[in-house]
Amino acid sequence: MKLTRREFIKSNAITAAASVAGVSLPIGSLSAAEGDDGIRWDKAACRYCGTGCSVLMGVKDGKVVASQGDPDAPVNKGLNCIKGYFLPKILYGEDRLTQPLLRKTNGKYDKNGKFEAVTWEEAFQTMADKWIAARKEKGPKGVGMFGSGQWTVWEGYAASKLMKAGFRSNSLEPNARHCMASAVGAFIRAFGIDEPMGCYDDLEHADVFVLWGANMAEMHPILWSRLTDTRLTKPGCEVHVLSTYEHRCFELADNGMVFEPQTDLAILNYIANYIIQNKAYNKEFIDKHVNFTKTPTDIGYGLRDNDPREQAAKNRAKGKLTKISFEEYAKSVEPYTLEYTSKLSKVPKENLLRLAKAYADPNKKVSSYWTMGFNQHTRGVWVNGLCYNVHLLMGKISEPGNSPFSLTGQPSACGTAREVGTFTHRLPADLVTKKDDHCKFAEKTWKLPVGTIPRANGKSDDADQSDISGKPMGPTLIHAVAMHRALKDGKMNTFWVMCNNNMQAAANMNDESYPGWRKPDNFITVSDPYPTVSAQAADLILPTAMWIEKEGAYGNAERRTQFWRQQVGAPGEAKSDVWQIMEFSKYIKVKDVWPEDLIAKMPEYADKTLYEVLYTNGQVDKFPAEQVTDSRGNKYQNDESAHFGFYVQKGLFEEYRLFNSAEGIPKKGHEMAEFGAYHKARGIRWPVVNGKETLWRFREGYDPHVAKGEDIKFYGNKDGRANIITAPYEPAAEPPDKDFDLWLCTGRVLEHWHSGSMTRRVPELYRAVPDAVVYMNPKDAKQRRLRNGAMAKISSRRGEIICKVDTKGRNKPPEGLVFIPWFDAGRLVNKLTLDQTDPLSKETDYKKCAVKIERA
Amino acid sequence: MNICSLIVHTSPDRGAEVSRRLETFEGVEVHGGQESGKLIVTVEDEGETVSPVSDTMNALRDVEGVVSTILIYHYGGEESMEEMNREIN
Repeated sequence: MKLTRREFIKSNAITAAASVAGVSLPIGSLSAAEGDDGIRWDKAACRYCGTGCSVLMGVKDGKVVASQGDPDAPVNKGLNCIKGYFLPKILYGEDRLTQPLLRKTNGKYDKNGKFEAVTWEEAFQTMADKWIAARKEKGPKGVGMFGSGQWTVWEGYAASKLMKAGFRSNSLEPNARHCMASAVGAFIRAFGIDEPMGCYDDLEHADVFVLWGANMAEMHPILWSRLTDTRLTKPGCEVHVLSTYEHRCFELADNGMVFEPQTDLAILNYIANYIIQNKAYNKEFIDKHVNFTKTPTDIGYGLRDNDPREQAAKNRAKGKLTKISFEEYAKSVEPYTLEYTSKLSKVPKENLLRLAKAYADPNKKVSSYWTMGFNQHTRGVWVNGLCYNVHLLMGKISEPGNSPFSLTGQPSACGTAREVGTFTHRLPADLVTKKDDHCKFAEKTWKLPVGTIPRANGKSDDADQSDISGKPMGPTLIHAVAMHRALKDGKMNTFWVMCNNNMQAAANMNDESYPGWRKPDNFITVSDPYPTVSAQAADLILPTAMWIEKEGAYGNAERRTQFWRQQVGAPGEAKSDVWQIMEFSKYIKVKDVWPEDLIAKMPEYADKTLYEVLYTNGQVDKFPAEQVTDSRGNKYQNDESAHFGFYVQKGLFEEYRLFNSAEGIPKKGHEMAEFGAYHKARGIRWPVVNGKETLWRFREGYDPHVAKGEDIKFYGNKDGRANIITAPYEPAAEPPDKDFDLWLCTGRVLEHWHSGSMTRRVPELYRAVPDAVVYMNPKDAKQRRLRNGAMAKISSRRGEIICKVDTKGRNKPPEGLVFIPWFDAGRLVNKLTLDQTDPLSKETDYKKCAVKIERA
Repeated sequence: MNICSLIVHTSPDRGAEVSRRLETFEGVEVHGGQESGKLIVTVEDEGETVSPVSDTMNALRDVEGVVSTILIYHYGGEESMEEMNREIN
């Protein structure tokens, strides 16, 4: 049978859809497609959110020409969201950066010069001079790197080594600080180990779903479609949705609740109170597996020291837990009655009661989901914890369907930022810089002298760590928001932003971010595939090979680690982040950044470069470069291996495994499989023990770390128990008042991902949602003489922007609140937001500040 | 050109009628699935910069009787229509 190329491709498209739908098509409607269409298909983890869908990428003549939801992927089962479907197009935006660009005047670097193309050599030499000077003059906080939950696993690992071991600086943070830090804080406080105990399989096992500050329909559409399937096919299944405004998830909600911002704290305490008052709690579970504790209250809002709100706080940034009795805990939630909570939250009593009953019913399996509504919260660690309290009281945890689940926004916020530990206070596999023995373990693993890694307090074996600056190391931790403040204050002079768009993403751009970046003494480097708002505000722009232009690995929200091979080459001179990190390290010598007494412990390192010490240490360069070939015999390039002469990704990953899978490691529970296993699988969920993945942690029969007869063991904590942590409702930092009379909430929309640097370059997505609008209640609009489609000026105490009003769109705010998405580089909502953080997690609260709106 | 396939959900008793409505759009064909309420649909265009398939797909979502549309497969090669219509075997 003769077929045209068009018919052939079409029949493949039809077959793919029919097989996902489970529909058998009448014979004859489908041409018997045989032969080779010249397209090489291979799997990749999606570039966008934390769901971790697998997509099949079709490459022909070195270019991606086709894509398909991966039918063999357990996460998305052949489905794809609209962003995923247009994935190939993010590689081919017209303004891809193809060469390094440095601001210059008359052939020399000049902060106020114009961007000129330079070689990689000139770019790195200029950068190295600035970094060495800043490190010597200003100490460990003089330099800083701001990475990403979109870094591949080995990119984060290579960056951690460069900063913590090479530059001896803890000034390493990921943009995940803005999105996950509160979730992490709560995991560590309650369970002593990071990341969810459950997995996406809970989406089919639960009877009740509760969404807390998560618009899954738009932000996690594939998980939402699985949840929807369960709701529509399982008798008695119900969906509760809580949010500060009505969004698309409310269409499926059996119990939709719009609450006053910040009162989620009170609602969760009300549920706990209801459970206790009705004696519905699981006594056996709490007797055996739970400790009751309290946390200091009145802790401030993470603002600058001179802010009156900070000066008024009694226990600023304090979080040490104190043990209490069950009775004391019960008393602490007693004030949260139905009447009080309903009045405070503005949620009708019957809705609150229905929600509390669902949690309290011993026969219903409940899965709770949350994202930025909980995390970007000045009481983010508290509110995450309050949700665990409810699940722990009922014993509804660590088993199919009973699952408190923190969703993630970035593809490797878990796999890279959290598991590798690219935060100021962390080291790989849940180790922390405040523990001398953890640092010593890392130093031994990395073949470095004791005392190389800066301790949080600057002391090793109780003695001050010496520093190249000549002063003692001193306290070394600095979080994301503090980095921008340090740049503005001149305490940090060099800053490398990689794989994120922090000028657009960080709160309070006018007062903090922009003045810091443009300060004359500061040298800012931005690595990106595109000329983002951040790139344009930098001094040096490095062009980046993105996503499938390199071999990569991401870890999603359910602990699933997924690998992909390099599918295509990058344009021009663009290079991957791991290439940039390792190549840059060749420009720094050990003696440029380490003090003499440290070098004296390993004098053979003195004249070596950081590259030699960190990446050709006999471990990272252990595996020779090889021809990457899949099981069908297809061949793939690997640009990093070709350049450095060894299998870079494998070497970095296998050295990383010395932290999470080797004998005698300090923290068990993060075990991973060997490198090659991931190229064969559609992801594997850690802990991986004896080649088997783990679906539910902490429960006998599911988790290999829980021995027979132990039933449940929260082994992240020494006593094997989880902590219930009581915390009260406390008001937000900047509630509306008579001058700024509306709440502003920011967030995302389905069509655009994060700051839009990729999705806004896809014509179809741009056309679907071109500009950010301000979603507002029709009554609020009318009061301000605004109608749907009118232009409005939105201002806060920090800045103003102009947006079109939308009173009829997908988001329906209540009176008193407006919502503006943050993807739009032309309407920068972070000119309005306040740089408030959770004092414990240091994560920014982008969901609550006060604005006013007038006609523009 | 762009070729994509979608699953369009309808209620099973309306599969046939919704199929007829969908096929009034240019470039849209329904290949089966009427009985189960999961229509197997292709959408094609001939390669404008902003693919009309995305507009068509948005429009399909608003067709009476459509519950949801899910994209499964996308081909977006840049070869000429002449090449696409050449016989390959």
